[in-house]
Amino acid sequence: MMSRETWRAGTAILLLVAALVSWVRADYFGHELLTQIAILAIFAMSLDLLAGFTGMISLGHAAFYGLGAYATAAFNLMLEWSPWAAMAGAVVVGAVAALIVGSFAVRLSGVFFIMVTLAVGEALHAYLFKSRAFGGDDGLSGIARPDTSSIGISFDDPAVFSLVCVGFACLIYALLELVVRSPFGRLLVAIHLNPSRVRALGCPVSRYKLAAFTLAGAIAALAGSLTAQHNAFISPELLTWTTSGEALIVVIVGGLGSLVGAAAGAGVMVLAMHHLSGVTDYWMFFMGLFFVGVVLFAGNGIYGVIDAVRRRLGGAAH
Amino acid sequence: MLLDPTFLAIQLLNGLQLASLLFLLSVGLSVVFGLMNFINLAHGTLYMLGAYIGLSLVRATDSFWLAFALAPLAVAAVGAVFHVVLLRRMQAASPMRQVLATFGLIFVGLDSVRYIWGDYSHALAAPELLAGSVQVLGQTYPTYRLFVIGLGIIVLLVLYFGLERTRLGAIVRAGVDDRETATAIGLNVERAFFLVFCFGCALAGLAGVVAGPVLSIFPGMDISILILALIVVVVGGPGSLKGAALGALLVGMVETFGQVIAPEYASVVLYALMALVLVLRPGGLIPVSKAHG
Repeated sequence: MMSRETWRAGTAILLLVAALVSWVRADYFGHELLTQIAILAIFAMSLDLLAGFTGMISLGHAAFYGLGAYATAAFNLMLEWSPWAAMAGAVVVGAVAALIVGSFAVRLSGVFFIMVTLAVGEALHAYLFKSRAFGGDDGLSGIARPDTSSIGISFDDPAVFSLVCVGFACLIYALLELVVRSPFGRLLVAIHLNPSRVRALGCPVSRYKLAAFTLAGAIAALAGSLTAQHNAFISPELLTWTTSGEALIVVIVGGLGSLVGAAAGAGVMVLAMHHLSGVTDYWMFFMGLFFVGVVLFAGNGIYGVIDAVRRRLGGAAH
Repeated sequence: MLLDPTFLAIQLLNGLQLASLLFLLSVGLSVVFGLMNFINLAHGTLYMLGAYIGLSLVRATDSFWLAFALAPLAVAAVGAVFHVVLLRRMQAASPMRQVLATFGLIFVGLDSVRYIWGDYSHALAAPELLAGSVQVLGQTYPTYRLFVIGLGIIVLLVLYFGLERTRLGAIVRAGVDDRETATAIGLNVERAFFLVFCFGCALAGLAGVVAGPVLSIFPGMDISILILALIVVVVGGPGSLKGAALGALLVGMVETFGQVIAPEYASVVLYALMALVLVLRPGGLIPVSKAHG
């Protein structure tokens, strides 16, 4: 029977092939969708590290995503940093913010953690909505993408930018896969399954959770930074509870604790949103119902189905 | 401006009025959380539903008081259906799944309201009896807002005596303290939970109708108040009536004064308050003593 990790990596490669095939075949609009999928996949995978592996279900993860976008805009527009530097700065801002929020949030369990993360996200949203320095509810526009004219390609070309975003998604997947396979990642799963036992073994549980929270915040900020460059525009909309909720839906629909599930879920989500919003104004209604259904019936989402195939094959081999 | 007694008095009353609404909203959340370790994130949606049903009732019957009486009942019925159809089914699953399901319902509720009542913002007129204003230190103040404050105090007293003096109240208290033992000695904690849940929904609906004349009614009114109610629960200490009252008072005042003095930072201050309470007193200001952790 193939190991869980190999199966997961295989699924990831299949997803990448699907992304590349659609990239080749896509028109202008297709590239825009692919960019959105790649960015959402990065954001959702960072949430999966928290929710799926460590068992910390955050409803305020959009705070770090939005912060990454705002930091990119602020560094790029106000301090006139180069787009690459702004992106790096945004990741640092996301990490620091997650470190601060996490320093007390990770001590909370289950439902308390949900409530507090939701409140943090909304508080930050409310602040940015009113802040004059950051454009209030109008947001800021004119964020630049990296200038790569010296090597003869332009990031302003949607085809190029979508490929860059897919590349980032692959990098983040590889990074997170390394993290969850490392002893550190195993410990996170152990904390999820039985925190008191891990504590009894002498591990500082809160510190490990804080490390995961910080890493997830930094990656979410990277996704936010890419969004800011993609749209050349940011607004408080990026930090609303619906953004956090959509990411959580992606992770749960994709399958908690599988990383590739989050990426596949991102694809399903963006395409479903794109098609549903063309048909009805009330797509959130259907998305909400779908979400309740997945929570209620299909425990492990899309990846749960894929993994069931692996177990079936394994069963047949024995 | 801050030291002007009239200004202070008016803002104090505004703070009390918001606290009163928040109390109506968070007491159900808090007690259910204490009983079942479950938080209904769609509670704000029920509040919004109360406001909209109230709006339709006022339009149909031209009577605020009828809406005042019927909307909470309608919302309680919605809550009951939701409990039977969804929550009870998920009882075996972890509380986390229940919480997530209620989160999905926020989306459903929001678009349902948009579909039925449209995207526009509506206002409810205060009933004639309370439409006037009174003099507070030489400043006029709407009578209706005083009514909201009074209503909060009345509900607090009713709940206090209900919890302390009735059999159901005793079962609820026993269930919050130690659910296993309460069940083991034959108390029907499940049924008590169901009743408390429905009553909490009715109070959320009541808060919605009552808020109609003060705040505007629009899709999305649910989430801003939900956040405040969650902060109330966390700050006050889940499961405790006094905690909900104290938390509502604190959050109502901080939010009101914050919005007047430094609107940009009001939410940040609130959040800092919550963080402070969580660090210093993780069980809230008035924690419920639990038999087992």
